[in-house]
Amino acid sequence: MLIKPDSILKLQQLMVDADKIDQVDLSNINQLVEHVPEDMTATVQTGMLVEDFQKKLLRGSQWLPIDPPNPKEITIGDLLSANLSGARRFGYGSIRDWVLGMVVVLPDGKLVRNGGKVVKNVAGFDLCRLLIGAQNTLGIIVEVTFKLLPRPEMEVNLFKQFQELSQAEENLEKIWHSDLQPVVLDLYRIKSQETTMVVSFAGPIADVETQAAELISMGFKSGISLGYDAAFRSKSCYSQSVLPSKLMSSLSGLGDMDFVARAGNGVYYVRENLFKNRAEISSVFGLEQRLKMEFDPLNKLPKLQLK
Amino acid sequence: MELKLRNEVVNRLIDIVGVDAVISDKSELVVYECDAYTMQKNLPSAVVLPGSIDEVVRVVLLCKEFNLPIIPRGAGTSLSGAVLAIDGGVMIALTRMNKILEVDPRNRRALVESGCVNAWVTREASPYGLFFAPDPSSQSACTIGGNIATNSGGPHTLKNGVTTNHILGYEMILPDGSIEWFGVEPDGGEDVEGYDLRGAAIGSEGMFGVVTRALVRLVKTPASFKTFLAVFDSVDQASCTVSDIIAEGIVPGALEMMDQVITRALEEAYKVGFPTDAGAVLIIELDGLTGGVEQQASQVELICKRNKAREVRLAKDDSERNALWKCRKRAFGAVGRLSPNYVTQDGVVPRSKVPEIMRFIGIVSEKYNLCIPNVFHAGDGNIHPLILFDERNPDQVKKALLAGNDILTKCVELGGSVTGEHGIGAEKIDFMSKQFTEDDLEAMKKLRTVFDPDQRCNPHKMFPGSKRCSEFIVKKQASA
Repeated sequence: MLIKPDSILKLQQLMVDADKIDQVDLSNINQLVEHVPEDMTATVQTGMLVEDFQKKLLRGSQWLPIDPPNPKEITIGDLLSANLSGARRFGYGSIRDWVLGMVVVLPDGKLVRNGGKVVKNVAGFDLCRLLIGAQNTLGIIVEVTFKLLPRPEMEVNLFKQFQELSQAEENLEKIWHSDLQPVVLDLYRIKSQETTMVVSFAGPIADVETQAAELISMGFKSGISLGYDAAFRSKSCYSQSVLPSKLMSSLSGLGDMDFVARAGNGVYYVRENLFKNRAEISSVFGLEQRLKMEFDPLNKLPKLQLK
Repeated sequence: MELKLRNEVVNRLIDIVGVDAVISDKSELVVYECDAYTMQKNLPSAVVLPGSIDEVVRVVLLCKEFNLPIIPRGAGTSLSGAVLAIDGGVMIALTRMNKILEVDPRNRRALVESGCVNAWVTREASPYGLFFAPDPSSQSACTIGGNIATNSGGPHTLKNGVTTNHILGYEMILPDGSIEWFGVEPDGGEDVEGYDLRGAAIGSEGMFGVVTRALVRLVKTPASFKTFLAVFDSVDQASCTVSDIIAEGIVPGALEMMDQVITRALEEAYKVGFPTDAGAVLIIELDGLTGGVEQQASQVELICKRNKAREVRLAKDDSERNALWKCRKRAFGAVGRLSPNYVTQDGVVPRSKVPEIMRFIGIVSEKYNLCIPNVFHAGDGNIHPLILFDERNPDQVKKALLAGNDILTKCVELGGSVTGEHGIGAEKIDFMSKQFTEDDLEAMKKLRTVFDPDQRCNPHKMFPGSKRCSEFIVKKQASA
């Protein structure tokens, strides 16, 4: 069944009563609990939309530096349960790097707090990282505390188009081995013969300008938005992750298929599922089953979906 | 507490790792009776020093057969008694498995054995312009396996993040002898399917299994540094400066505070030119690209002056910078000269509460008439008050315990934590119930059950109600 609790207490009750919960709609549990700009932290209920949360953080000129596609449509809960990220992942890492603590409702209805609100904390075991990307299969995250960053003074996106992947590779290696610190290092080919490389810089104006100048001298141009990522990934697509050094040979193997690639991370997205049956690869299957049995012995919550 | 091993067990351990790699003689075991937390001590039943993954697995299987506790150990630098053998058992010391197996500069990774010393990784990576970011003060001795067990921090984790942010994957031998690899595989991409068991077991304080190999992330060495020594008349001025820098949106590479007792002790020991009449100093290190560092440097200088800094000294070159850091990392050692004993606390408060907790520590120091110097990661709000006492004076022992209790309780009240990087171990078990509810702790126990259903791996740690060393109880009574 689908449940839509209007409070955390109600969710706890529903978790106790229900035999099977297929989906939880947390859109009524959507308040900003606190934003403490001077600590660079914020605590929010997970039903809030990602974009609404980012807007609230503007007050302190801060942000959560994670940019999943379609922030207007996805909640903080979606961001956490699916471990989503966007083009800026190369510069800022994934959401696991920004969570300080959380409150979770377990399948037995118990409300559990893990981690805390401070930026450094090793008291107790780390359930936060476990629950991120766990697709609501072990418990439902209802509140989360994030570490934040100041909004960058300036951000510039640059791009360059290549006829051949090998030319792109040359530029990529040059950037990789330089002192440049891009926050975006992407390649994409969408409905085109050409491959586009996108490089963004963010931070103090002085740094951004110097770095951008260096890229312009390599033939890059400004004037591109990062919208291609959401546009491509909002339709069904599949991701693959390889060693960054092996990315180009993987992309060459795609023939003339469309793709979006996080070149710095070795991750790429394509339309077709080329990577079937990967579930069998998972070597820790036994432990994952034990985890599920320990946290959700009655199987009230869905099973973890492997791609 | 003594758990004596049967000769049969000792002989079989010798069969596995060789006679030179088994310690079972009482006089030699004394080395392993405690780690850097010395308030509790107990001998393990035996120590084995395996030389390969296969030997670790066979030792673990033998422990399973005889239902013996396993205590994984790195260099024994834990400050919370994390590797204390509370109830005896077989200690598996990984110091012989210390090789760097591969440095892959193109992919910014290194594969190391778990007994590899933290500082060696950076040493091997630096020719490629890369480094391993977590830098605990014990980094010249502590091991990567120990870093994983305690999710270690260090001064430079303010900007770069702690151990969990820099460990891509690792191999763990579970107490049932199975070999698991969690997280990113040595030749694999960074997205891993399924639950994040990697993250779940980092910081588990050796209670989930024995780590044997780790794949670590390497980070690019910043293009430029600016390291300041800012001198203040009072701790309060320095504390306010810390809060102001963070509130301004500046994230320094490191932001450390030392008070007068510490700078005096360091100056006496190493003669580096610290002002001995200043109330407190800050080490503020900015790193990044040249332009941005320059820009932030002038902001930082302004904030220091606004808080009445007496002097803001810039390290002229790398050797001055290195001297400052060397000094900072030796601070705990220098305090040994001031007092026969000290206990280090590791509380955390929200960064804006640094001034408040520092005032509170001053009050506690007066209340118990104990000297409590401070040297800590101010930018993270991670305090390290060192409570000085003399263990021959029972009244002081009692007061030292009470003072620590007051300070950590205050950290929790201010919305913080009782440990930022040292861990709970055997030391802070009683504080867990101040910070967490019964249900919170139950959920953590569920996680432990997944990895170690028999609770044989590093037992009697972390959770309230755990067994204590008999000696500790005697000491507590003597001081009560």
